Amino acid sequence: MSRAAAVALVVILMMAPPLLTANSFLLHLGITMLLWTLLGASWNLLGGFAGQVSFGHATFFGVGAYATMLLYLRLGLAPWYGLALGGLAAMLVSLPIGLICFRLRGPYFSLSTLAVAEIVRLVALNWEALTNGPVGLLITGLPSVALGGRVINWESKLPFYCVIAALAALAMAATRQLSRARLGAYLVAIREDEDAAEAIGIDTVRAKVLTLALSAFFTGLGGGFYGFYYRYVDPDAVFPIALSVEMVFIAVVGGLSTVVGPVIGAVFLTSIGELFRERFQVGHLIFYGLFMMLAIRYLPEGIWGSLRRALAGRPRAEPWRS
Amino acid sequence: MDTFFQSLVSGVLTGSLYAMIGVGLTVVFGVMRIINLAHGDLVMLGMYGAFWSHVLWRIDPFISLVLWVPLMFLGGTLVYRFLLRSIIPGGELNTLLYTAGFSLLIANVALFSWTGDYRTIKLPYAITPLRPFGIAVPIPLALAFALATAITLALYLFLARTDLGRAIRATSQNPEAAALMGIDAGRVSMVTFGLGSALAGAAGILLAPSLYLYPTVGEILIAKCFVIVVLGGLGSVAGAIAGGILLGLVESLGAVYVSVAYKDTIGFVIFLLVLLFRPSGLFGVGKS
Repeated sequence: MSRAAAVALVVILMMAPPLLTANSFLLHLGITMLLWTLLGASWNLLGGFAGQVSFGHATFFGVGAYATMLLYLRLGLAPWYGLALGGLAAMLVSLPIGLICFRLRGPYFSLSTLAVAEIVRLVALNWEALTNGPVGLLITGLPSVALGGRVINWESKLPFYCVIAALAALAMAATRQLSRARLGAYLVAIREDEDAAEAIGIDTVRAKVLTLALSAFFTGLGGGFYGFYYRYVDPDAVFPIALSVEMVFIAVVGGLSTVVGPVIGAVFLTSIGELFRERFQVGHLIFYGLFMMLAIRYLPEGIWGSLRRALAGRPRAEPWRS
Repeated sequence: MDTFFQSLVSGVLTGSLYAMIGVGLTVVFGVMRIINLAHGDLVMLGMYGAFWSHVLWRIDPFISLVLWVPLMFLGGTLVYRFLLRSIIPGGELNTLLYTAGFSLLIANVALFSWTGDYRTIKLPYAITPLRPFGIAVPIPLALAFALATAITLALYLFLARTDLGRAIRATSQNPEAAALMGIDAGRVSMVTFGLGSALAGAAGILLAPSLYLYPTVGEILIAKCFVIVVLGGLGSVAGAIAGGILLGLVESLGAVYVSVAYKDTIGFVIFLLVLLFRPSGLFGVGKS
């Protein structure tokens, strides 16, 4: 199965549920999975290819969410435009963060992203004039939109499903393009040996900052979609450390620097999380933690990476190295 | 002026507890080169240990140290033996991700078992504070300070004077040379992780009467932990003590003279600045 066929198959699978059923719980589950696919794929662009473990991606998610909400509430800009601008806002925020944090390597980089995310969260919590503080922002109604002679009023979940499916597909396409582009090769060189990459003339900081910006853009789109779908954001919902960590888990459990990995990670972890949430209300992330540990221990390439290797009949790889 | 001395004193008191958490993290880093992201959750477990033994068996939290600290030590050695040992050769980022998973697991098991409710421990002697020189000092915090100082001093003596302590310091300074001198690295790592867990648990118990308890409190504590150990230089015990006290002071003075709302932000900003300009720590003793 060629990679293009695999991508096409996944896109078809993503579009299938709404055609088969109008069941709103299943649609909601599908939307959740696709949102996590988008986030996992976004994180993967930097974390997977360049091996830069960011624990601060919630920042970009939150900035995207707040930008989209604020543009709608303050300027009346419809969320589908706001969504794109939210992505751009996240991208802009990522530039200074990248320039600061990429001065550090390995675990030190990870810790610095965590600190930046906490600073941004605390600012969002305290800058009440802009963000409304802990109270958060609420949208009551969404303007309907005319598309191809039909009016979409956002009452049903189906249009949301289509939007997030398109965004997730876009992030996957970006992953595929990156794997073929020169930048992708630079990133792999950085992951394997940063000093050597620099020695052969790769501008490593530039490559990493560019990739972070791309990754932040898609994460910001995810945040914008979140605000748009739930119609409510507050700092605890869009800026928590746990959100950053979940993004990492989706990519790692699914398979790093692969197109399909984040889909598998999102479907697997979200369905288990939802099953558990239904029964127990709280603590539904127990299995996220457990599967993360098991994946690092037994499937260092993630579910998809190991599966692909097994299908191709190649021996098991060395554990993912830092 | 009174406010100044008041915040100075409360800064040092809380700082001593931060120092204790930082020492646990830094010793583990020094020996095993892993940044244990679950360290804050171990502090949380200590807090709940103190809470439940107080609620169920009416044991004073400070006395419950005798029960929980050995248990946390044992738990830590088991975690090392059965969960961590096989991961460590995979490299620093691998262990970072692994302990992130472990942290999520512990916090969510706690959330599942004890719900997300905020809880407090009410002690009869916590109502009226001591007032030396007109400075209000809550009795639980003063007790916690005294015990934290004693425990940290005991640890220092253990590291300085005993054979096992010397083996731990040697491994921390140069693992290969230590192994060549016949030090059993596996045993040293196991004891160190046990010690780190016991220190985290003890700090949790000492903090429990002065803080709200909830299962994800570890998230905030781990973030503070990083500030402390990076301030002092990762791997340095003395640096972690100084870093802890410094963070306590910065927070309490910052709350008074800058802004209560941005008190935590100041800590993180300092953290970033130190990380960027002095990655080996303010005191220049650690290795980066």
